[in-house]
Order: sequence, then C-alpha cells, then structure tokens
Amino acid sequence: MRFLHPSLHPCFLLGLALAAFGLAGSDPALAQAGAGSNAGAGEPLVAVRVVSLNPSLTEMLIAMDAVSVLVGVDDYSAQEQPEVRSLPRVGGLFNPSLEGVVALEPELVVMVPGAQQRDLADRLRRLGITVLELSNIRIEDLLNSIEILGNRVGRADAARKLVARIRRAWRAVEKATAPYPRVRSVLVLDRDPLFIVGRGSFLDEMLRAAGGENVAAVFSDPYPRAAIEWLIAAAPQVILDATDDPEDPLRYWSRWPSLPAVVDRRAIAISPVVLRPGPYLDRSLRSLAEALHGPGVLAAIDGGREPSVAP
Amino acid sequence: MIALTRRRVAGVLFTLLLVLLLVGFAALIVGPSALTPSDVVGALRGAEPGGAVADIVLRVRLPRVQLGMLVGASLAIAGVLFQALLRNPLADPFVLGVSGGAALGAILVLSLGASVGLGYAAVPPAAFAGSLCATVLLYVAAGFRGRVSATHLLLTGVVFNAFASAAIVFLASLAGLMEGARIFMWLIGSLSASRADMAGWVALFLGIGLACAIPLARSLNLLTLGEESAKQLGVEVERHRRILLVATSLMVGAAVSVSGLIGFVGLIIPHLLRLLLGSDHRLLIPAAGFAGAAFLVVCDTVARTLLLGRELPVGAVTAVVGGPLFLYLLRRHQRRAFAQ
Repeated sequence: MRFLHPSLHPCFLLGLALAAFGLAGSDPALAQAGAGSNAGAGEPLVAVRVVSLNPSLTEMLIAMDAVSVLVGVDDYSAQEQPEVRSLPRVGGLFNPSLEGVVALEPELVVMVPGAQQRDLADRLRRLGITVLELSNIRIEDLLNSIEILGNRVGRADAARKLVARIRRAWRAVEKATAPYPRVRSVLVLDRDPLFIVGRGSFLDEMLRAAGGENVAAVFSDPYPRAAIEWLIAAAPQVILDATDDPEDPLRYWSRWPSLPAVVDRRAIAISPVVLRPGPYLDRSLRSLAEALHGPGVLAAIDGGREPSVAP
Repeated sequence: MIALTRRRVAGVLFTLLLVLLLVGFAALIVGPSALTPSDVVGALRGAEPGGAVADIVLRVRLPRVQLGMLVGASLAIAGVLFQALLRNPLADPFVLGVSGGAALGAILVLSLGASVGLGYAAVPPAAFAGSLCATVLLYVAAGFRGRVSATHLLLTGVVFNAFASAAIVFLASLAGLMEGARIFMWLIGSLSASRADMAGWVALFLGIGLACAIPLARSLNLLTLGEESAKQLGVEVERHRRILLVATSLMVGAAVSVSGLIGFVGLIIPHLLRLLLGSDHRLLIPAAGFAGAAFLVVCDTVARTLLLGRELPVGAVTAVVGGPLFLYLLRRHQRRAFAQ
C-alpha cells in the first residue's frame, strides 16, 4: 500500500523546498547586519498592495525599505522575517490559500515559479490580480528580481544600490580569491539523505566565484540528492556543511575518515543563512570565501573595495 | 502439504542462508564506484584502513547491507505472521496501519521530541509504541467479546492508516519548511548511512519477535485452519494471538524506525515462499527472514546503483519489483483455483 500521494514525493519536495527558498534558518549576527540599512530613504514609495509568497522576495522588499507595501505574506516569510510577523499570513509553499490572498485585495502578488504554485498563479490571474513570478535559480535571476521588485514599488534606486553592492562584492571576491589555488569543495544542504549543490544554481555560481571548484558540478540539476559513496570517491578537500544539524560537522563527516576534508579537518559549518536567495548575497560570498581560504582572504576582499592605507 | 522433516528444514534454510551470503557479498561489490571482489576482500581483511575503498566497503556498503538484512527480515516475518493471524493473504503491516502507527510514533519524536529533550535514539522505542498502539487499537476496535473478525481488523487498519497519514501530514505542516520536507523524506524509506547506527535496535526487536514467534509456529499452523478447529486442537487462541501481535508490532516498529516506510516486502516474500515451500510456519518463519533479508538487500543495491552517484528511495524499488511480481502470483493463484 502506498502511503503518500505521488505528488508528495519527498525527494521532489525537499528539492523544491531548497530550490524555492534555500534552507530556512536564522543567524542573529547576519540578520542584525541586514537590519536598518534603510536603503530606500528619500524615494517615494508607490502605494501598491503587495502579497509576497516567498521569504526571499519578502527579504528583498525589506532590504529596499519597502516593507510597508506588504499587506500579506506566506508562513515562511513570517517565520524568517521579524519585520513581517504581524502581517496577515496566507499559508505556506504547499498550502497557499487562494481565498486568503484574494481577501487582502492585493494589486500585486509576487512568488517564485514552481510546480506547487503554478495553479495558484493561474487562478489569481483569472481573478484579475497581477502576479509576478520571479525565478531564483541563477544569480542573474536574483539580481533581476531585486530590480524588478524595486521598479514596481518605487524603490528603483534602492534596488539598484543593492544590486550594485552585490556585483561589487562579487568582483572583489573573485579578484581576492584569484591568487589562491581552486579548492575542490562541496556545499552540503542536508546530511541524510545527502542533498548538495549541483550545477547551475546561484549557490554553484557563488562557490566558484569564492574560489571553489564544485565537485558536484557533475550533477546537472541544481540541488541533487547524492550518494555518500559518490562523495567519498569525489574526495573534496573542503566540505561546506550548511545544515542545521547540531552535530559538529567534523564529527559527523569523520564517519568516513578517508575524506580529504576530514583528514585536513576542513569540514566547516556554514550558516544556513548563506543559502538564502535574498538581497545579502554579498555577505554570503564573503562567508564562502572565508570558509574556503581562511580569514586572511577577508582583508584582500575589503582591500579590493577601498584601498587600505599602508601603515 | 509437503511433510516437514528436520532434513528438509535444514536443507532449505542452508540454501537460503547461502543465497543471502552471496547476495550480501555481491552487494558489497556492486555500487556507483567500481570495485573488484579482491578490493572488497582486501577491505574486509583490513587492508589500507584509512583509504577510500575501506570507507566505501566498511563504512557505507557494509552497514547498509546489514541494515537491509535486518529490516528485510523483520518486514517479511511480520508479513508471514499477519497473514497467518488474520487468515488473509492481503494482510500486511502497511495495510493494517501498523506501519503507519510506527511512522506516526517516530515522527512525533522527530518533530516534537527535540523540545522535550528526546534525541534520535528515542525514535525506535517511539515507533514500537506507535505500532503497538495501532495493534491494540485494531484489537479493541475490531474485536468484540474477545473474538477478532478478520474483516473488521482489516477495515480498522485501513481507517487507522488514513488517520496516521493525516496526522503525519498535520505534523509536517506544523513544522517549518525544511522540517516538513525532511519528515516526508524520512517516510519514504532509505537505508542510508547514519541510520545504520540504529541497527542494534532492529536486531534486538527482531530477536525478541523471533523468540516469541518460533515457539508458536505450530499454533499458527493450526490457527490457519480456522479458529474453532484451532481451539478444539488445544490452541490458546487469544493468548497466542496477543503474543504474536506484540511480536509483530516489535518487528514492524523496529523496521519502520530505521527505514521509514518500505512496502511490499511483507506481502511478496511470504507469498513467494508459500508457493515454493508450502505453508508450514515452522519453516516459513525462518525462511521468510532469510528471503526477506536477501530481497531487500538486492532492492537497496539497485536503488543506490541505478542512477550513478544518486540515490533512489528503496521503497520505490521494492514497489517496482514487488508490484508486478505480486500480480503474477495473484494470476497464478487464480489459474490454479480454476484448475481445481
């Protein structure tokens, strides 16, 4: 007897969850650093009633100081972003409430295109509500999403600033890590079952920009489920472990002592916040570069941005 | 029924054990990374203990093979016991909701256990508690005046399964996005690495279950003749049935707690063996253990080898292998019935 409806196939679910959001998780330090950036000061906000169905889009709106356009959010936005906790909620990724969205009389609904919500988008459109589907797979998708959102809510300048900051950080990180040898690495999203970052997502692109060689680029989908045996054979020098599992990464990965990352004690915990396809990719890039090359690389990244005065 | 001699039991079980060992060794050789039999033998003998081959053979494949054997044996024996107890060929831990109860118990601990200080180690006992609750509920809801009707039992199982399924979906939707997705991942069943730490639990529960079931094998034979006949032949029907249901709950709970929900093993293996060996439970119970173990190891080897470097859920493989085989058995069964 099958226990689950086929559309609830868990592999599909977890992959979708990762593709849609990155891992949920909060890092107080990063969250605080993001608060109060007040990027949109001075620009007149276009008073459009927006419902966001995705935490990364919600986070983008918050970062461009456009939180007041939001009239409702999905459950995961409310879990992750304290700024929108008091807003009406319209369900989660798998159970969005059409009625809940319609009742908020939104002029714009923003979401990430995905199989689970395709039907919702169509039905909203049939009811005359404008729906904006913003992909979050590749880095250019994300930067576009920020600018499109900014234009729609009257925060074009703020959005441009966010994008410019990310591009600047991207160049600085690429430049700073260029002298280092490429580090054969893998970015782990979940330990058991093993989910990793494959080829073609913004995380894959960031890993490369930060001076890593993604050993999982042999997988053509962005977030494949891999066999542990494959990982042992791939022999990464560094395991970037972005799971929220409380067990220390080095201890966990030491179950397979032949892993070079274990031998060199380079199974490194990464904050799950790094995985968020949101407006703070610049910080995520720095974290990845630091994990791959050590804290010394940070000075080089900052040095590239504003030349430091020699002592 | 073919006469059961000591010699025949020994012959059949020895053959099945040999098959199981061969399957186990083959499963150590086959996998996404190409290894030769001599690589495997070398690793087993302790050559280059820190190398990648040792990791793959001793710390990836061997624990999985062990766990696959234990889970496969538990599910197959549980299937044999349920089918005999209910005198219904479709009785299976999954149909009866016992697996669903075990899954619900496990998921209660997985989703809410952390807040009351329960770790992963609490999952197997919770799964057993869940499967036992399901069994007791089956008994109370379907039984009246100490007698259990098979139809009622099956229907109660179906309803309980629906309830457990709904409760799990409810728990998953309460949890965060990742936790919810992980709960569904956990359910589908896998024999992957970290769960191998729990093999001891499965071995313990399987051992207790066997210790209860094997001495009662003769009672089971009589029970399959019908309750009245069994009583007339001196079987303490209710007491034996209760012991066997608890034993079965133990095995199902242990299997589900480490592997999630893997279907068809408890349905296919008993049917296959009954066709091959007859239905004497003194032979059927241990034979189902060996055959179920070998079957699940083969399925898991396919699951981890078919798509190089990726993993398929083993439950999907048992379903693909088990579904058609079951239909074939059913057709054959019908034809034979017509011929008679």
